[in-house]
Amino acid sequence: MENFEAAGAKVYVLSYDEAEAMADYRAAHNANFTMLSDPNSDVIRSFGILNTLIAEDDHPWYGIPYPGVYITDADGVITDKFFENNFTVRPGPEQLLAALKGEEVLLKERTGVDAKVTVEVEFEGDTLPVGLSRQIVARFFVPEGKHLYEGPVPEGLVAASIELDELSEGIIAYTPVTPQTRPMTLSGDGHTLNVYEGDVVLRLPVAQNGRAMEKDEDGRWVSINGCVRWQACDSESCDLPEEHRFSFRVPAEFSVFGDMGPGEGRVPAMNGAAHFQEMMTRRQT
Amino acid sequence: MQIERDTRGAELGPNQYEDAEGYIAPMPAGSGPRTNPLGEFPTGPAVGELLPDVVASASDGRTVDIHQDRNGQPVVLVFTRSVVW
Repeated sequence: MENFEAAGAKVYVLSYDEAEAMADYRAAHNANFTMLSDPNSDVIRSFGILNTLIAEDDHPWYGIPYPGVYITDADGVITDKFFENNFTVRPGPEQLLAALKGEEVLLKERTGVDAKVTVEVEFEGDTLPVGLSRQIVARFFVPEGKHLYEGPVPEGLVAASIELDELSEGIIAYTPVTPQTRPMTLSGDGHTLNVYEGDVVLRLPVAQNGRAMEKDEDGRWVSINGCVRWQACDSESCDLPEEHRFSFRVPAEFSVFGDMGPGEGRVPAMNGAAHFQEMMTRRQT
Repeated sequence: MQIERDTRGAELGPNQYEDAEGYIAPMPAGSGPRTNPLGEFPTGPAVGELLPDVVASASDGRTVDIHQDRNGQPVVLVFTRSVVW
């Protein structure tokens, strides 16, 4: 939360919960963002994101949105949004902060001229609980005059990408976040491809479904393995494709799901069961 | 937009249902809190549009109008399903 304040942003969380339930949540979790109650789903409807797959008499589920996050600039104009099909997972703060800050200024002080692309790969965040997505960030430092490709590319070329190993069972990749590209027409065959200019940051949100965990005396862990691929070209020719393997092992922690009572690893109660009961009956006449 | 329901998954045991991504929960994929869309679904106003007006009651009871309240700052607006369940 301090990070959002440092970025000069205001955070609002809106749901169809009653204000009283939100007040309990705030107290239980020391939440200091503004929580907005939309018990009749009016705001949710006005955004056009009411989950209409749920029947009106299906309590308490009816009234929820297709969940997601909007980011605006200082003028209130939407600059980014985050929606995924599977609601089990939500974006971690790192992704929202990256969107708030916009394009990263990447260029480190570099001495001399690198002829080759170098890449740094990082897992952003300390943990990977079930229910939250964190991201693998690949930062490519691209020498002047060279560029990388956005997929898809024709056979023979390799697009810049972050890919998980098939073996990373229980680890799920979500929609990659990629920078803007410009179209470039190849002189040879006239193909037009999208290229990234300058240094490039790719982000791959990943989550775990609870089956990737290993347990040892220090706790629960998940391993995320995969590789970053790319091929650098200039206007004349291409370097050979390259790949950089990564392997991260991070604490799995406990899930971020609702608190309906005591249980292993759960955050102290906010009296969730009573609020849930209320939600079951509040619309029944 | 025709929205399709994602019912892919399997029953693993009593109150144990797996969805297409391997998450396990007590309700089958496509029902109750797991009513996820398959493919395209509405995600509201587009990038580049002004954030629509949001006026709602805050947890402390006061009425908040986001565009006034944000006081010239950028906004992170999270639509979540519920803070209760």
